[in-house]
Amino acid sequence: MILTAEQKDALTELINIGFGRAAASLSRLTGHRVQLEVPQVMMCPVGELSEALRPYICGEIASVHQVFTGPVGGDALLVLDQRSAGILKELLTNEPALPLSIDASAREVIAEVGNILLNACLGMFGNLLKVQVSFAVPHVTLEGLEAVVESVIVEREELRYALVVHAGFRMKSSSVTGYLVIVLSVASVDRLIRAVDTWEAGR
Amino acid sequence: MSDRSVDTALVRWLEEYAEQGVFTTDDRLTITAWNRWLERHSGRSAAQMVGRPLLDAYPDLGDRRLDEHYREALEGHASLISHLLHGHLLPMQTRVGEHVFATMPQRARIAPLTAGDQVIGTVTVIDDVSERVASEYELRKQIEAQEMARAAAEKALRIKDEFLATLSHEIRTPLNAVLGWARILTERELEPELLSRALNSIFRNATVQARMIDDLLDTARIMAGKLRLQMQPVDLLSVTIAAMDVLAPVIEAKRIELRKSLDPKVQRVLGDPDRLQQIIWNLLSNAAKFTESGGAIDLRLEQRQGVARITVTDSGKGITPEFLPYIFERFRQGDASSSRREGGLGLGLALVRELVELHGGVVRADSEGPGKGSTFTIEFPTVISPEPRHNHVSRDRLNADSVPSLDGVRVLVVEDEEDARELLSTILSDSGAHVTSLGSCAEAMEYMKAAAAEQRPKVIVSDIGMAREDGYHLIQQLRQLPPERGGALPAIAVTGYAAPEDRTRALSAGYQRHVSKPVDPVALVKAISEAIRRAGV
Repeated sequence: MILTAEQKDALTELINIGFGRAAASLSRLTGHRVQLEVPQVMMCPVGELSEALRPYICGEIASVHQVFTGPVGGDALLVLDQRSAGILKELLTNEPALPLSIDASAREVIAEVGNILLNACLGMFGNLLKVQVSFAVPHVTLEGLEAVVESVIVEREELRYALVVHAGFRMKSSSVTGYLVIVLSVASVDRLIRAVDTWEAGR
Repeated sequence: MSDRSVDTALVRWLEEYAEQGVFTTDDRLTITAWNRWLERHSGRSAAQMVGRPLLDAYPDLGDRRLDEHYREALEGHASLISHLLHGHLLPMQTRVGEHVFATMPQRARIAPLTAGDQVIGTVTVIDDVSERVASEYELRKQIEAQEMARAAAEKALRIKDEFLATLSHEIRTPLNAVLGWARILTERELEPELLSRALNSIFRNATVQARMIDDLLDTARIMAGKLRLQMQPVDLLSVTIAAMDVLAPVIEAKRIELRKSLDPKVQRVLGDPDRLQQIIWNLLSNAAKFTESGGAIDLRLEQRQGVARITVTDSGKGITPEFLPYIFERFRQGDASSSRREGGLGLGLALVRELVELHGGVVRADSEGPGKGSTFTIEFPTVISPEPRHNHVSRDRLNADSVPSLDGVRVLVVEDEEDARELLSTILSDSGAHVTSLGSCAEAMEYMKAAAAEQRPKVIVSDIGMAREDGYHLIQQLRQLPPERGGALPAIAVTGYAAPEDRTRALSAGYQRHVSKPVDPVALVKAISEAIRRAGV
């Protein structure tokens, strides 16, 4: 399933509204201006997800994992390499990060950031589709990219497509890059794209 | 058991036994359950809380905009409240070991309670993370301490590397002059003026190198805790004058004015005279090194309350305030470029401090900054004591021009190294002595046994470190001869081993005097003359 240029633009714009909200929440929380760059969006089959992300993310990664249910359901992830996750934690808390594997507090901060970002984006989809989407509490895992993708595929067989959103955080003249990955079933993707088309046509 | 009774049992367990705070609200955020853990930690009972609107009970939640999470929960969104970004959800007190938390650090999860598709309320689960926060704090402290230790070790390593680079440069520099002039001397005849310049240069550079090696050896001894001081009551005045004499040629050559104010009534201090002289020599040498040509050095010796104070003030390049605290550290020099210009190993002042402290004294450096000169002050506790046990050799050096003559004195020189043997012969012949020089212990013993009474030497000068049989062996054999065959002849040990314990060993082996290499001709001649006088031969 390939997004048309118009669909891509419309999705980018929708997610950007969500990002704006998330950035505002993070700025308020940290007392520093946090910006989220205009997102870049792409769609790919779940089977090609590792390959699609590999050029951008290497080594051990930290991922915030949040399941969502409702008329549109799936898995949402924020994926960062562990170094970037450490930097993000330092920027947000002014406290030096230890290696994530021994720094539970840092993992928790990353979970909350993921929570804010994922809620904002999924909330936008809920509004667009005029349905209620429920999310579970997020949790953090520290594994390689392949293992993360594998667990998504194995846990929920019906999930076939991944919407990958590049998320660039900017604060205090530093920047950290992460990726939002929203994994959806064929039916959910269909529904989402139709809703995007309708939204685009209605403008 | 029906599902309902399982649910009820689960709810009871959460209320009574959960190790977490759990409370629920209805869809208007009125509290519907408040578990035992919360009662215990918040100081508010379930009876007080159930039925109360959450935001009335904790208005602070609204001020901190945490109420948004409850509104989101009513829309079906779960959220996480991290302790690092929020501190806590509800104010509670706790304590972990020595860490007292005025507000318990908490992690909270706020989630919708649903019945079918309908959100009917919210559930909040609070974890006390104070133990984790305390252990992360300890861990962070340990890591910081380790990193500091590592940084210090790396820095020490870097300083040593720099020192080795300096060392190879500094040791090579005087060697170049010595080798260069020596080559010229072997290749052609020089006019007298140039010859004298050549010899002066060789002498000066070799002295510099000998000094560096002494500093290095002393530093190594101090670092190994092997430096021994020969403590005795010492007259600082004579020590100071001796140090001045040694440095006079350098100070004159640089046209530096040396202004002295030496109080002759300074009381004695308890110390090792050679080391005390080394301290003053190093301070003066340092002052001379950093004072431009035409500048001045003030040397002051005075008696203060219970201490003798020596002050060396120069009009030199001064010390930056940043470097001042490190001035007495080993291998440190103000800046690499100037150290290249001024030369030196960066050991002199470190040695000064170590030696001063070994004498129970204190040393201090002051400078008003770059270009404003520096002042070094040392103080030693003074002692009131009878005459010193023996007059120190530096007293003799006060009268350096009155070198005794060895006219007609027969001297046997034993030294296996040809150049050194020739040097000793020349020094002694110049003083009027009849010199017989031999290359080994065996030759020397043969000569002693064969020599007729009138041919026999009056004194023996022997090297200690010889290839086959050393100088200790020689003296041992010599002392076994009957006195009439030379068994009681005075003997002088000349060695490259300059440590006090080497001197002690030479003296206890049977030598009367010990002179260290490089040989100072005046000191050698005086040592011989003194040994002969004492032996009454």
